[in-house]
Amino acid sequence: MHLFADMGLQGGSLESVYWGILIVTYPFISGLVAGSFVVSSLSHVFHQHHLDEIAPLALIVSFALLLAAPLTVLADSRQPVNAFELFTRPHIPWSPLADFTVIWLSYVILMLIETYFAFRYVNVDMAGGVGWRAKLARVMSLGSRDASEESRRRDAKVLVFLSAIGILLAFLFHGYIGFVFGAVKARAIWSTALMPVLFIVSAIVSGIAFMYLVYLAVVRFYREKPDSNVTCTLLTWLMGFLLLDAYLDAVDLVTSGVSAYTQGPVDKGVSAIFLHGPHAFKYLVIQLGVGIVVPFLLFLVPRIRHTPFGGGVVALCVVVGVYAMRYNVVLGGQMESKISQGLVNMTVPLTGFDSVQTVIGVFGVAFLLFLFFSWLLPWRQAVSIAIGTSDIPGQHDHSDAEDSTNSKPVDEEALTASTFEGKE
Amino acid sequence: MRRSNSNHAQVTPHADNAAPGPWEGEAEGIPRRGVLAGVLGTLAAVVATGLAGNFRVGKAAASTIPKVPVRRVPLPKVLALRPRWASWTVDELNANNDGWSQPAAWMSTILNRKKLGIYHDSFPAESSQPHHWVMVIDLRKCIGCQACVVACKSENNVPPGIYRTWVQVVETGSMVSNPEGEIVTSAGRFTSGVRRSSLPRLCNHCDSPPCVVVCPVKATFKRSDGPVLIDYTKCIGCGICIQSCPYDARYFSTVQETADKCTFCVHRLDRGLLPACVTSCVGRARIFGDVNNPQSTVSKLLAQYPTNRLLVSEGTDPQIFYVDLNGDLVMGATAFNTAYPYAAGTNTNEYDNLTGRVLLQTPLGGD
Repeated sequence: MHLFADMGLQGGSLESVYWGILIVTYPFISGLVAGSFVVSSLSHVFHQHHLDEIAPLALIVSFALLLAAPLTVLADSRQPVNAFELFTRPHIPWSPLADFTVIWLSYVILMLIETYFAFRYVNVDMAGGVGWRAKLARVMSLGSRDASEESRRRDAKVLVFLSAIGILLAFLFHGYIGFVFGAVKARAIWSTALMPVLFIVSAIVSGIAFMYLVYLAVVRFYREKPDSNVTCTLLTWLMGFLLLDAYLDAVDLVTSGVSAYTQGPVDKGVSAIFLHGPHAFKYLVIQLGVGIVVPFLLFLVPRIRHTPFGGGVVALCVVVGVYAMRYNVVLGGQMESKISQGLVNMTVPLTGFDSVQTVIGVFGVAFLLFLFFSWLLPWRQAVSIAIGTSDIPGQHDHSDAEDSTNSKPVDEEALTASTFEGKE
Repeated sequence: MRRSNSNHAQVTPHADNAAPGPWEGEAEGIPRRGVLAGVLGTLAAVVATGLAGNFRVGKAAASTIPKVPVRRVPLPKVLALRPRWASWTVDELNANNDGWSQPAAWMSTILNRKKLGIYHDSFPAESSQPHHWVMVIDLRKCIGCQACVVACKSENNVPPGIYRTWVQVVETGSMVSNPEGEIVTSAGRFTSGVRRSSLPRLCNHCDSPPCVVVCPVKATFKRSDGPVLIDYTKCIGCGICIQSCPYDARYFSTVQETADKCTFCVHRLDRGLLPACVTSCVGRARIFGDVNNPQSTVSKLLAQYPTNRLLVSEGTDPQIFYVDLNGDLVMGATAFNTAYPYAAGTNTNEYDNLTGRVLLQTPLGGD
């Protein structure tokens, strides 16, 4: 069934947009992976203990998205059944796409180890009970029965180490995606050394904003109140990285949009596509306006900054802006013809191959994985232990900001008895 | 989730207080399981449709809505997740019985690295090899008859709508205002300063091909005698080679569902024949030969005439040489620079402005 002229993305005509909305979504999802991992690492490595409450959640979100991310490229590939060739005959290190296998696999392995250590103590605790949940906990603790304070300190040390490696891998994972585009010399707009850095920074920005939204949604699900320590810390970090992102976007605009500072094809394409052409609204208004300027302006208003809803609006703006950035880079970059006159036509199909429908499906898979992991991994218990009380998120005494950073002594036996007594 | 929720309700310090927290009633009263089941059910439906969309179920369904005659995709066949590149067995591809339906035969001849070396990332100097095939296109002789295009499509069973070689027709210049000109319009008299020229295009079989280096599975390669080829059985169809070709010489074959391109008619070459486009060229504008042999026609042409290549600035070292690319050999000082930009692509907005949007439907269905 090849109605290729109106499909646009399928090829068939001489110059076509070959990478569609799924390849827009791939860097977006893997950016969320990197960003949410950074959120969990902020707690483990950089001692942002306000974020202890969402570190396990961030880990789960990151893992779910990590497993869902390759589905986008797999669905975009014309020969998905041949994908195993990536592992049997990878063109390492020449092809950026082949480096995917090494980076993604090591990331998955690291996430498995990190997940084990992040939830080991809770699993050991739960393993003492009865019922299927305790059986599951016994399996997931992999034979470890050490619930001592000593073992928890060792876990924390291991987590610091793993998170440090994980940040590097997250950067590598997302940096390679930037390099996939930056390495394509034939696409003048893509071929810039800024590309990996732009992708990494906007990944962190989108990940933090996304974690903000996920936190609000989860808190809402449990009918609790969001902890203002968490939201404020997230928002502060978000603004810091957004500042860096704005700087990089400005550098990118200056070095590619001003004819005196760049090469002919780049200037021609950026001007014809992003400044005056079909992507002008998506670039100037959505990516730069909604994605960067509006969040800053909203952040300046204390009443918005200090309410979870206002912060949620800021985070939503940022996420939309980052998706627009991926959209502009991937689809806008392909609209400049390589050897012809004019701009290549493009339509994003709503249904069928490489369509909005498939993107929704991939996000659905990611959400299912998230639900599965948040059911499988006892992250609520991990949170109550991590913040040093048996309290659940959102029920802190907010009067003392230092309170939650210093872990209170835990009455372990009482905690265990009250929390994890299996009722089944 | 429900379980952990109720756990937390128990351990919360507030649980002992007289005033219950806002979360406590929910743990008992609100039927979370119903909400979750609803969410999961909706999601499962979304996921199913989304994944099915990739196998064109949705496309097929959507395209039945307008009254366009569309061949229906039989549902069981789609759901069977048949490997798409089973299209090797598409009869149309094997019309000449030239081994297209038998990749094993192809592997033992063309892809046989013991006969001729194949390279994926670092390429040997052309002078170090016994042969190096190049093409010289003498634009003074090209009449734009498109016979090469037809011959190529026929020889290689290229699916409708896509081309391995094509001849661009370029019009440049403008009408020159002249009081004694032969063209009379309401705006005055003109002489024609318009020149029309043809530019045959094909894969440039570059000596440092970016499309080969970026291939993640080493499916595409450069053979030691020059042609850049694809092992279709290994291609995963990621499209990065198509992105990285500055000449837009690669495309997705709508039948094979892999990347595809001009092969210099390597199956003919290995049997001592010229490529189909060269054989069929009525003006003998296309000349094919071994540049390592000083007595070959291409060597003599390259020695005798100034030649241009396309997009040398990309650093690809293309191996298709054009005689008289700018028209200056024929036109002298009055030549127009016809080379840049090469032509309007048929899938661009400028082409649409000229002709309106053209919708094509291939007679040859895939899947």
